[in-house]
Amino acid sequence: MKSRILVFIFLFGITVILHAQEAPYFVTYDHHLEEPGNLEIATWTTIGIPRSGQNLFVAPFAEFEYGITGRWTTELYLEGQGTPGDSAVFTGWRLENRFRLLKREHWINPILYFEYEGINEATKILKEVVGNAEISSERNADLAAVHAHEIEAKLILSSNFHDWNLSENFIVEKNLSQAEGFEFGYALGVSRPLSKIASGNECHFCLENFNAGVELYGGLGSTNGFGFHQTAHYLAPVISWQVSDNSSFHFSPSFGLTNVSYPALLRFGYVYEIRGFGQKLARVFEGKP
Amino acid sequence: MTRIIFVCMLAVALISAQNTHYQPDANWRAPDEAAAKENPLAEKPELAAGGKKLFKRNCVECHGDSGQGLKKAADLQLPIVQNQSDGALFWKITNGNPDRGMPSFSGIPELQRWQLVLYLRKFKQIDTEKTQN
Ligand code: HEC
Repeated sequence: MKSRILVFIFLFGITVILHAQEAPYFVTYDHHLEEPGNLEIATWTTIGIPRSGQNLFVAPFAEFEYGITGRWTTELYLEGQGTPGDSAVFTGWRLENRFRLLKREHWINPILYFEYEGINEATKILKEVVGNAEISSERNADLAAVHAHEIEAKLILSSNFHDWNLSENFIVEKNLSQAEGFEFGYALGVSRPLSKIASGNECHFCLENFNAGVELYGGLGSTNGFGFHQTAHYLAPVISWQVSDNSSFHFSPSFGLTNVSYPALLRFGYVYEIRGFGQKLARVFEGKP
Repeated sequence: MTRIIFVCMLAVALISAQNTHYQPDANWRAPDEAAAKENPLAEKPELAAGGKKLFKRNCVECHGDSGQGLKKAADLQLPIVQNQSDGALFWKITNGNPDRGMPSFSGIPELQRWQLVLYLRKFKQIDTEKTQN
């Protein structure tokens, strides 16, 4: 069983995440969309550190992000979850679209986000936190048997001010498979690059390649009871490292702030960007070199 | 002789891959205040080397190695681009023109965007050299 989990982690782990000058957030979105024609392939992993009596889990997901136009980015996610001593399961897929509402940069830049999730109850990637929290001790096989069709919308507001980025996300989610009402959540992020000037030489470890910040995210209940009661919240320092021109590595330890949050989450990801992917693909179909 | 033929072929290839017909979008203009901003790094031309690195990372896929412009992207060597002020180019890099394929690069730190402007000025020399030959 252990070796199956290791193979599973490895398979997801080899797909990597990173991006040029991208904010280092894991949960919060800023207003920067993918450049048109670029494909970004990323792998992210969330490791949940348990309280006594709970199980540690490893939840990796792969992300494929494509810039359709300068104002429309689409993303496909494939996710899984493995629990040592239990099993590793595929937990579903998500399709997400982000639209930039305004043509120019403003003090506050709004982005609309819509997502469909075809997932099951074993999902633990915690790509966002909404509603009320319940930490389940059911086995993966039972959780994976319960399917959920969910739709989610976010209003993303983001501002750049003297190299600082400040982003606020307001989240509403509806599980179409159950009568849970609408669930709410939030994510806030602030970050900045560690150096303002780019040096002339190629360097991997110089400060200009690092971006650091902090995120705060959590649930706000649902239409059945809005507020902080029984909700999970996390505070998470975040850092990203531009490893090369087209790849980056992200890392974040997150700390649970309430007794229904996981005590800690360790998150990391690797992003690889294929520039001009759309154009390259078009050339293949047109038969040009 | 073969070297001369090779250089000529390369020059033809470069020029033909260039977006010389580029016409700027008349509605994409920096406000006067932004266009009047001076490059705070103007006295530090050595920082253009960092601009070159940023250009390679973020811009060549559309504008080409020498800023010549691939497909719809602007030919940054053209006088119609180079005659704009540093402030106007900085504003265009910051805001982009997403409906015509130029992304916004407001996520790049401010001084690094000015480094890009320093580097863009190198393309002016390429154009002058070409017209002189
Ligand atoms: C995804 C393709 C793409 C990328 C990447 C890109 N550009 Fe552009 N750029 C364009 C297009 C297309 C235009 C022309 C927009 C128009 O027609 O209005 C343009 C226009 C410009 C202009 C304005 C020319 C004018 O009309 O005055 C500047 C300056 C410029 N780009 C600089 C940059 C810099 C610097 C970078 C990298 C930081 C960059 N671009 C990256 C596609 C791109």
